[in-house]
Amino acid sequence: MLAALRIIVGLVLLVSGAEKLLSPYQNFLYALQAYQMLPHGMEEAVARFLPWVELFTGLFTVLGLWTAWALRAAMVLFAGFVVVVGQALLRALPIDQCGCFGELVHLPPRAVLVFDSILLLVCVFLLRHLPKAMQWSLDRYYSK
Amino acid sequence: MSKKNVTLLVIVLAVAAVAMFKLYGRTPPQSMDSIAARAKGDPQARVQIIEFIDFQCPACGVGSKMLKEYMDKYPHDVRVQLKYFPLLNHHRHAMQSALYSECAGRQGRFWQFHEPLIEQQPQWSPLLSADPVFTQIAKEAGLDMSVLNACLSSQDAAQTINDDKTLGRSLGVESTPTYFINNKMVVGAQSLTDELNTYFPKS
Repeated sequence: MLAALRIIVGLVLLVSGAEKLLSPYQNFLYALQAYQMLPHGMEEAVARFLPWVELFTGLFTVLGLWTAWALRAAMVLFAGFVVVVGQALLRALPIDQCGCFGELVHLPPRAVLVFDSILLLVCVFLLRHLPKAMQWSLDRYYSK
Repeated sequence: MSKKNVTLLVIVLAVAAVAMFKLYGRTPPQSMDSIAARAKGDPQARVQIIEFIDFQCPACGVGSKMLKEYMDKYPHDVRVQLKYFPLLNHHRHAMQSALYSECAGRQGRFWQFHEPLIEQQPQWSPLLSADPVFTQIAKEAGLDMSVLNACLSSQDAAQTINDDKTLGRSLGVESTPTYFINNKMVVGAQSLTDELNTYFPKS
């Protein structure tokens, strides 16, 4: 059960990162700019770099490789997304699509806030129950 | 195989998979042939801009006004060509405004229709039916209304719009406004300003 949750969390990040990486980075840069949170000079670097972080965090979480570190990274990512989307909602920025999954799935910011908050709590829960979350993982294989 | 080696293998395979898809996975882009009716400016201009536009998208309105300012200021340096990219899931009037524009273009009055269309976007965008506004703009732009109506119901105009959208998708366009400035992709009004500032530095 917990291993399945771990794989689902990983898949969310894996798909999100892959979708952004496979399309031109300018599309994600445009989505990022709408949140008006990053300094102007940093936006492009984040648009190029963040999808790789999502991809590897997702991949390692799904495979259960360095699981504890991958879950911590996922927790930081989801906490970051909650802050970014939350401030956009508080400032009533005109964002109708979150830009989280590129063209794959369109979610309004409110739905994303709920979704990311749940995933953040799931990460915390999995970290607290790490041995069970590490079922069906490469870490378990290597610890034998 | 050690855990360290598996980690390295996973990283290398993931990077290779992304690189392979980027190189070979996409539909090859079709050529961006110039459509004279939707192009404005000197064909030899040093800054060639192709814009994928949805006429109902607010950021496209901002971008269009910005481009007009650059064209007025640097008339021999900028050429703009528009391509349709209606976001049907987001904007109720996206397709209809594109159809009217295409039909205006077929009567050689694309820009005469386009400019008031963008100017009046905040007025027609929230309406349930924007046809009366589009018709009024078309009349003021001097369009032959019977030719316009025949064009609006033709499959041909819709096909032209869909062809542009297919072209945009093959180039990686997902949202509007997306510009290709001397073939460099730029999305959104802010990035448009940044890119144009590299050609026309503010004194």
